Amino acid sequence: MTSLDYLLIALRVAFAAFVPLCFIAVCVWMERRGAGFFQDRSGPNRAAIFGFRAAGLVQNLADAAKLIFKEDVISGHIKHKFIFVLAPVIVFFAALVSFAVVPFADTLVLGGRSYIMQGVPVDLGILWFLALAGFAVYGIILAGWSSTNKYGILGGLRSAAQVISYEIPMALAVIGVLIVYGTVNLNEMAQFQGQLLFGFIPMWGAVLQPLGMVIFIVAAFAETNRTPFDLAEGESEIVAGFHVEYSAMKFAVFFMGEYVALFVSSAIIVTLFFGGYQVPFLATATLIDNARPVAFLLLLLLPVAMYFFAGWIRRNNVSHYPRENDPRAFEAKVYIRGLWGLVVVIELALLAILFFASPGGPAAHIFAALLQVCTFLVKVTLMLFVYVWVRWTLPRFRYDQLQKLGWQILLPLALLNIFVTSAVVVILS
Amino acid sequence: MSARVKTIARRGASLQERLYLIEICKGMATSFGHFFRNLLDNSRLAVRHYPEVPPEIPVRWRGRHRLTNHPDGTMKCVACFMCQTNCPAHCITIEAGERLDGRAEKMPRRFQIDLLECIYCGYCVEACPLDAIRMDTGIYSVNGTRRDAFLLDLTALQAGQGAFPEDDYQKGGA
Amino acid sequence: MADMVKLFVNGVEVEVEAGKNLIDAIGAVGIEIPHLCYHPALGADGNCRMCLVGIEDGRPPLVPACKTPAMAGMKVLLDAEHIRKIQRDVMELELINHPTDCPVCDQAGECRLQDYYMSYDRRQSRMTVPQVVKGKKMAFGCGVVHDQERCVLCGRCVRFCRQITKTGELGIINRSDDARVNIFPGRPLHNRYALNVVDLCPVGAMTSADFRFQQRVWFLKKSPGVCHGCARGCSITVDHNREKEQEARIYRLRPRHNPLVNGYFICDSGRMSYKAEEEGRLNEARHGRLARSVDQALLAVAEDLAQGGKITFILSPDSSLEQMVTIRALAEKLGATLSGFSDGWIIPGDGDDFLIRDDKAANRAGLELLGIDCSRTGFTAAVEAADLVVNCNNDLGRSLSAEELGQLFQSRRLISFASHRREIDNQAEIVIPVASWSEYAGSVINCQGILQHFPRAVVRNQPPMELVELIARLGSPLQSEADCWQELARLPGLPADPATIPTEGLQLNDNEAAHDQP
Repeated sequence: MTSLDYLLIALRVAFAAFVPLCFIAVCVWMERRGAGFFQDRSGPNRAAIFGFRAAGLVQNLADAAKLIFKEDVISGHIKHKFIFVLAPVIVFFAALVSFAVVPFADTLVLGGRSYIMQGVPVDLGILWFLALAGFAVYGIILAGWSSTNKYGILGGLRSAAQVISYEIPMALAVIGVLIVYGTVNLNEMAQFQGQLLFGFIPMWGAVLQPLGMVIFIVAAFAETNRTPFDLAEGESEIVAGFHVEYSAMKFAVFFMGEYVALFVSSAIIVTLFFGGYQVPFLATATLIDNARPVAFLLLLLLPVAMYFFAGWIRRNNVSHYPRENDPRAFEAKVYIRGLWGLVVVIELALLAILFFASPGGPAAHIFAALLQVCTFLVKVTLMLFVYVWVRWTLPRFRYDQLQKLGWQILLPLALLNIFVTSAVVVILS
Repeated sequence: MSARVKTIARRGASLQERLYLIEICKGMATSFGHFFRNLLDNSRLAVRHYPEVPPEIPVRWRGRHRLTNHPDGTMKCVACFMCQTNCPAHCITIEAGERLDGRAEKMPRRFQIDLLECIYCGYCVEACPLDAIRMDTGIYSVNGTRRDAFLLDLTALQAGQGAFPEDDYQKGGA
Repeated sequence: MADMVKLFVNGVEVEVEAGKNLIDAIGAVGIEIPHLCYHPALGADGNCRMCLVGIEDGRPPLVPACKTPAMAGMKVLLDAEHIRKIQRDVMELELINHPTDCPVCDQAGECRLQDYYMSYDRRQSRMTVPQVVKGKKMAFGCGVVHDQERCVLCGRCVRFCRQITKTGELGIINRSDDARVNIFPGRPLHNRYALNVVDLCPVGAMTSADFRFQQRVWFLKKSPGVCHGCARGCSITVDHNREKEQEARIYRLRPRHNPLVNGYFICDSGRMSYKAEEEGRLNEARHGRLARSVDQALLAVAEDLAQGGKITFILSPDSSLEQMVTIRALAEKLGATLSGFSDGWIIPGDGDDFLIRDDKAANRAGLELLGIDCSRTGFTAAVEAADLVVNCNNDLGRSLSAEELGQLFQSRRLISFASHRREIDNQAEIVIPVASWSEYAGSVINCQGILQHFPRAVVRNQPPMELVELIARLGSPLQSEADCWQELARLPGLPADPATIPTEGLQLNDNEAAHDQP
């Protein structure tokens, strides 16, 4: 083990642990501002530090401060206090750990040694995720039960029933994928999706397994307790469901666990069906070989994109009412300058690659890995946006509709998918 | 007034609608249209930029209470307790006492409105036989850091000023 | 019962008492004839004309109901158009000079003029000329405040002073729209029943200075009660209310009609006796010099009682029968002596021939009925023989001077259950606050031998313990009011259930005082 080994292990573990946590803020921000824009309002945009609102991200800090300093109440009627406190921890922990098997870049080869780019180097892959997703519901059930509250227990029961109903179609949808990819290892799946179908279509799961994708995404929505399947919370009928008795940081842990689960299931969906970390049309090998042209292309595109982005900021980061010396205009100026500074730094890094990276050399490998990480995060963010998008479009299902959809529609479709997939695979081989 | 009947076609019977996924996509397209339009240009958001841009308060709007005065500055209220009797939230507390300014026999010694209990229904204004209590101050935001700050006493109520011209108020009613 | 006759009201046959006037006779079956000047206790005057009714096939066809006795076969017409027109016109006449200052009038809510306006008039005023200006806020003495503008000149107050108190302070002076009720110059109301004119006045012309502006009457909770001011035990209505975030309190006492005891009236001192329920109350239990919770103090009392020795219980002649019988039962159990010594309650010569009695104790007859010794000699002997004296809310300071009390209790341990703060309690080792008569349900026997039961009226924010419950906690064999009544039912004439006592009270026949009718 060289020091490089240790460094990379530390890096990948840190990535798997902290990126989901950072994305909590991104999720919350996207959810709120997204909700605002979907509903023709602006969302949180007032919390500021020295007048800098960071597009509403500062609101997250304010909320965090609030939740941390709030009184942490455990009602007197709660008998099983240990379980009551444990429940949010289970939810959060299960969500966080399930990200450990998701690869965020292809295996990095440096100096003849290959370094796997996922939190925990196990081959369980999708099975690990399925197991932990099922485990998270224990947290919800225990929370509902230990709350000694009728709303809590109803929320917990709904959640349990929902998970049982949707784990099955989800697992069956995964079987179709497994048949196609022939592996449970998520990295191998992502590598498989780097190929091109007929030479011009990325061989993504979405192309090979469209039905499986729909079933899996629907089931993933249900697993993460997101609208339209958030019956476990059901504000209108069971006030807040399983976390009705939770306050302050205990509630915040539930809240964060939910968003980590959101991030993880987005990552899994991306890995299974949208090519994972693969840059479209550029498989890992191609990327390493053509590091220079890609860097050059980025070198050209980045300022152009920044130019338009700066224009957008200037247009939108203003006060839409008469105001003297609009501080938001100043704010926008600062943002634009800061971003241009960032662009210049990236440009310099790209220039360095352009001039010094040899094709197939370590710099090209690192460049490819970084590009893949970025691609992966962009894809995950887009998938997260889909979650938000669906939430603010669809109303919540009724309980019987939920069960009917799970058992009478998704389950037969998943079985049909397995049958057809197997038949096609057998015929083609 | 006869009720107007509007027949709304029941949806969801056709195959396309029952497939559900297509309808979901349509709905998502609609909501994304809103999102994208607002993302490109957030000046078109249907919002009021409160608190910088205050809301326009119509005359009939029920704001914080005040006790009105006669032109000579004496209080109109005679402590008849009609507002307290009619208050569904029991937020008004009056203590009556002898009145010595010759206007009437009786006046409130203490007149307290607990704004934390008030539901701003305006029944007190309706009930007042002397137009002594009004909710026309146009004050829509009452805040404080202590409970006492929400207890309006006689002086605070009397100090309140109407936010509208008298004619408009009389026309608009309350 | 009186003879019943059948007559027709608006063509419907009703059976009413013969001999009574139409207002009372028909009113008894629930048909109201509006009237202002008539009052059952004062007789018919016939000046207000509000009670005019039609008699079909009669001569004359229109008669004042207050002056017309009910007779068999009479056809009384009430809801005809011409009767309603008379009622409207009378109302209009009464309201010509009425200031309609209902918002500041204390009578609003129990005002005949208001009620009749809503029931029989409901028209706008046609008056265009200025109203006659008369005297307002005139102090008539005895706490009566008169407003001449509101007066409808029914003369009830004038007749009350002439017929009932026979003092005749009031009169109607001048004529027509200048007529007004007034006192003679320099001769204010001066009798012990003066405040009854406030109740008698159908409008807000007579108001009580004591109750003035204290409370709107519709907020008041009205509980029946029995006055504890003297041995008469007048039936009263306790008007009390708990204002927001305040202590529940009594605002006034009013007479409650009771033909057996007090008729329609009570005396002024009885009316004002509610103040004693509010002021000078004992609120905290004390053991030695330390404040204690009632429970702690009770434990200490129970220990003291269990130690044995000679114990004497002193009862109050104001206590209810239930309290007396349970204390007697506890005393029997402990082998203690009892005394109801309360000579100080009797003020010779204070009583009159109407309602007020010399004896200011509400239930001395009860003490006698239960065979409890009230004599001074018995009291002195019992206390001197005792090691421990338990005073059950008897204000001994009324009967004995401070020196006498000091001597008596210098070397004796004293435990006091008291509703009010009293001198004597300073010498007590343990003091526990108990409920006063407005805060418990109980029964008393008045000087005429009439047993009356009254429910609990006022519930304080922190209700003091009732004596019956307190004695039960100390180990009385009678653990509840029902137990008390089982014990009381052994006495001749007493029922087993206080709920069977009629509202006007039960005449206990074997009591000598029964002959002492007013």
